[in-house]
Amino acid sequence: MKKSSLLLLFLSLVIVLAGCNVKTKEDAQQQNQQEPTDSSTDASAVTIELLGMSSNESDVNIIRDQLTKNGFNVKLNLQPDYGSFKAQQDAGNYDVALSSWTTVTGNPDYAVRSLFKTGGDYSIMSDEEVDKLIDEAATQTPEEAVATYKKLEDRLVTEKAYIAPLYISLKSQAFNKDVLDENSVRLSKSRSLPWEAVDFKDQSKRATQPLILSQSISELTSLDPIKGNDGSINIINTNMNVRLINLTDDDKITSEGSLSYNHAIAEGNSEYYFILRDDINFAKITDKKAVDSGERVGADDVIFSMNRAKDKNSVPDHRTYTLHEHINTVEAVTDLSVLENTKVSGGGESVKEALEKGLDTKITSLVSDKNQASTKDGKYQVIKLTTTEPFPQVLNYLAHQSAGIVSKKQVESINTYDVEKFDVNKDIPYGDQNTVTEGDKYNNTLFASGPYILSYKNDYEAIFYKNPGYMKGTEHEPKIEQVKVRFIKDADSTLSALRSGEIHLYYGVPETKYDVVKGDSKLKLQTIESNAVSYLLFNTKNRDVASSEDLRRAVLYSINQDEILAYYNNNKIKAYSTVSPIVKTGNELVADPAKVKEYLAAYKASK
Amino acid sequence: MIKKLQSKQGTAHQLKSSPEYRQASFTWVISLTLSVILLLNSFDFAGGALKPWVFTAFAAYALFTIVQMIITLLIRRDLLRTGDIRRSTRLLGYIQLLSIITGNLFTVTFGFNLVKQQKPPEYTIAVYMLLTQLYVIAISALNLFKPYVSNTFLPAMFILVVVAILQLIALLLVAKFVTSHYAHPKLVWLALPIIVTAATGNIFALVLGINLLAKIRKNGNPAMTRWSDVWIKLTANSTAMAGLFFVIFLFCLSVCSVFTFDYSVAIDNNYSAILLPPSLEYPFGTDNFGRDLFSRIVFGARISLIVGFASTLIPVIIGGILGAISGYYGRQTDNIIMRLLDVLYAIPGILLAIAIIAAFGANTVNLILALSVGAIPTYARTMRANVMLVSTYEYVDAARAFGSSNFSIIFKHIVPNSLAPMIVKSTLTIGAAVISTSSLSYLGLGVEPHIPEWGNILKIGSTYLETNSYLAIYPGLAIIALVLSFNFLGDGLRDALDPKLD
Repeated sequence: MKKSSLLLLFLSLVIVLAGCNVKTKEDAQQQNQQEPTDSSTDASAVTIELLGMSSNESDVNIIRDQLTKNGFNVKLNLQPDYGSFKAQQDAGNYDVALSSWTTVTGNPDYAVRSLFKTGGDYSIMSDEEVDKLIDEAATQTPEEAVATYKKLEDRLVTEKAYIAPLYISLKSQAFNKDVLDENSVRLSKSRSLPWEAVDFKDQSKRATQPLILSQSISELTSLDPIKGNDGSINIINTNMNVRLINLTDDDKITSEGSLSYNHAIAEGNSEYYFILRDDINFAKITDKKAVDSGERVGADDVIFSMNRAKDKNSVPDHRTYTLHEHINTVEAVTDLSVLENTKVSGGGESVKEALEKGLDTKITSLVSDKNQASTKDGKYQVIKLTTTEPFPQVLNYLAHQSAGIVSKKQVESINTYDVEKFDVNKDIPYGDQNTVTEGDKYNNTLFASGPYILSYKNDYEAIFYKNPGYMKGTEHEPKIEQVKVRFIKDADSTLSALRSGEIHLYYGVPETKYDVVKGDSKLKLQTIESNAVSYLLFNTKNRDVASSEDLRRAVLYSINQDEILAYYNNNKIKAYSTVSPIVKTGNELVADPAKVKEYLAAYKASK
Repeated sequence: MIKKLQSKQGTAHQLKSSPEYRQASFTWVISLTLSVILLLNSFDFAGGALKPWVFTAFAAYALFTIVQMIITLLIRRDLLRTGDIRRSTRLLGYIQLLSIITGNLFTVTFGFNLVKQQKPPEYTIAVYMLLTQLYVIAISALNLFKPYVSNTFLPAMFILVVVAILQLIALLLVAKFVTSHYAHPKLVWLALPIIVTAATGNIFALVLGINLLAKIRKNGNPAMTRWSDVWIKLTANSTAMAGLFFVIFLFCLSVCSVFTFDYSVAIDNNYSAILLPPSLEYPFGTDNFGRDLFSRIVFGARISLIVGFASTLIPVIIGGILGAISGYYGRQTDNIIMRLLDVLYAIPGILLAIAIIAAFGANTVNLILALSVGAIPTYARTMRANVMLVSTYEYVDAARAFGSSNFSIIFKHIVPNSLAPMIVKSTLTIGAAVISTSSLSYLGLGVEPHIPEWGNILKIGSTYLETNSYLAIYPGLAIIALVLSFNFLGDGLRDALDPKLD
């Protein structure tokens, strides 16, 4: 017993001694606080409802923490998936919503037009000044546009605080380098992974082994390229439909691997010419296998595809017409003298010379029938596209999956319904996912102009086959016969699948898993700065944040991007608006608790 | 030959019938296991280096394990020679008391058990009461290594130490003046302040106080009450007491942490301290937001206990009342109530909980309700069976003959006599409730993600299983320990309450 009491005495002694130099929280706070808190201001916390998805739980937690530390009372509204998140957002049940935007076309106009312009597809705001600046920047050269976009950011973020920027993400993918050829797997800033380039390390497996990829969303919006623009179909549609033009890994325009051999911009920046290839046929599915339909991809298909892309009323649920609203006319050129007499923008050569560059046989004649076209005889098809105003960024939109070329004949034969009287229960549009889902509704009518065609899908996976009539004999001919896309919802499971060899490539590895991937000797991690920006979107209706700039700015200056970067181990990049990844305006958001206090006080005073 | 066999059996019986020897063997095995775990952890296998602190802890544990082994052998020799443990061997127990510095609960309680030959339940309870208090003080004192402590830390610690001293005095007095059948009447003046110290959450203090008062009241009366009988059996069961100790320790810590722990360390992000390995400042390391895992687990205990108890108490009361009514009245009443409950019984509990939370939103109150609803039918069935049995007894008939109302018969005579199986069952299901809470939080259906709850903490840990495994190990161990404790306690209570074992 004695020893026990001695111990107690010793313990109390330790505490008493320690008590002399223990720093309590109050002491610590007093040291950090230079100025005493103003007791005259209203001390009640302002409640902010933060809407987010469970998949972004970390971001939500960081923002909650930062807002709480700046005197807000944060109410969380966490939704399990995008569907319920969108439903909450549409119902207006939020003050700030954690949103993200990826500029898949790689041009700044797309990064702002549909988000912030009055009446844009995803826009919930209306500000004349912002509208004016967006339109002004669109017509300018990239160098001139920098200043305009800076002005736009000043208005959008600094002055009005319609959004509070968080960060730019890295785009990442990890693949099994024991199975896949390292040099064949590309990671591009905006463009989706071109499947046709991917090859096995052991090339003898091309015909026998499938390439196995993964995707988190198993519900495919639509396989009609103009009817969807989201994560569920962007990669798939990019590989199922060829385009007039492509983007390089760093978002430059190129004809490489596209339907055109070459392209040219005519003087005045309103006319664009494309010289088409003759070695792409549509593929179709017969008995769940891909066969060459024998129909060539030609000028009539291009004209049809472009016209339906820009026309809001060409299909019900047209999701991408705003991307193509600058297209004025699309036509096939049959008069060779037009090409000879038109000069290229910013150069002395004619359009004909520009289009012929690098071709073995020069243009001898232009044909209107696509079946007459023959590269080796010098008979070509040329497309002329005009824009409503001088707008060089239109080429970026043409590289987007929604500008994929579909078969005029096939689509017209499937979409026989009247758009105005479209009935979801009765009419089956081209590209409806039910027509490719295993079951009694299965009736695959797809005509794919791209390197692969979807044979069928279920909840577990989607099976694609190589298009047998796609650029045969060239370097762009698809290497691997079959592609499987596994639908795995959870990031951890996807990574496990990659590590166990169940899948070959994992696109979009979370930042927290980089170390795990790097530590695995058979995996290779690729990262590149992406065009994806995360930001807080303020509600513009029925909430205090909608009417009070002060409140919005208080939230804006509560955001500390340095802390976010620290959390992500510097695997994120600072942003100021959605154009930040594309245009370096030099703006930077610096957290400022003093300003937060000031704006909060102003907000409370105005109430 | 027969004689040899007899003597062998006799030896085994002699050893088995000594509680000290049983506990001694159990203790050295556990102690050795802990030592080996510490030894394995003291080597950094990747770097090939030795971690000095862990190795020191191992050395201390190993030392007391060796002492424990020696004591076990000595007890064995004493028992075989004289049939009793010698005084000199008992004195060795004082060495094991020193192991309180290492925090090894098993050797310490063994030491306390060995040094005293006659152990009334009050003595054992007083020992656990003091240990609980000391553990809470030690755990709270770890906050001293933090850059700053909460504002109430110093006064709270002072009060805790004063309480601990008071409880030490109580232990000494109980050891001296309380025997199996007698307690000194003046101990009333000790019992009252001890009950007051239960305000720190130390339920042992409350139990000790009540036990003392009860014992003093019936000094000289040889009759045994159910209450004291249960405690005699329970205190003799060292696994059940270890379980009870851990539950009460966590409860006490949850109460004291309000004053001794700083909530902001557990909930505010600290970006300069992300994913730090365990150290003195952060005993369990920090998570991916730089929050102190140790504080989070301490604060998480509160939610686990509240949800565990509340979601067991609600179905016990509702199910108990429904079961009692249907068991007592029988016929149509029974049929209607039980068939309706059968419908509820047909829905899987966790599925029902998920559905309720999905419909009404995730927060603590909904979580408790969701877990409660599904458990009602099982309690109703248990209660109904007991009531049906008890209502046939003579004293019920007697009460009826005296003209008592049905209400008073049910709640005065039948229910109190049907409670024992309910108590055992509820103790065993609290563990399940704790697991359900954590599972739902793990699935993102429990409390908000930043709130420290063991399931939430484990969820974060699971994503860092390979790189920072401690993030998952500690909350996992906490859940295991709490559930295991409830199960041990439940088993002990069943043994103590079972009239067949009398």
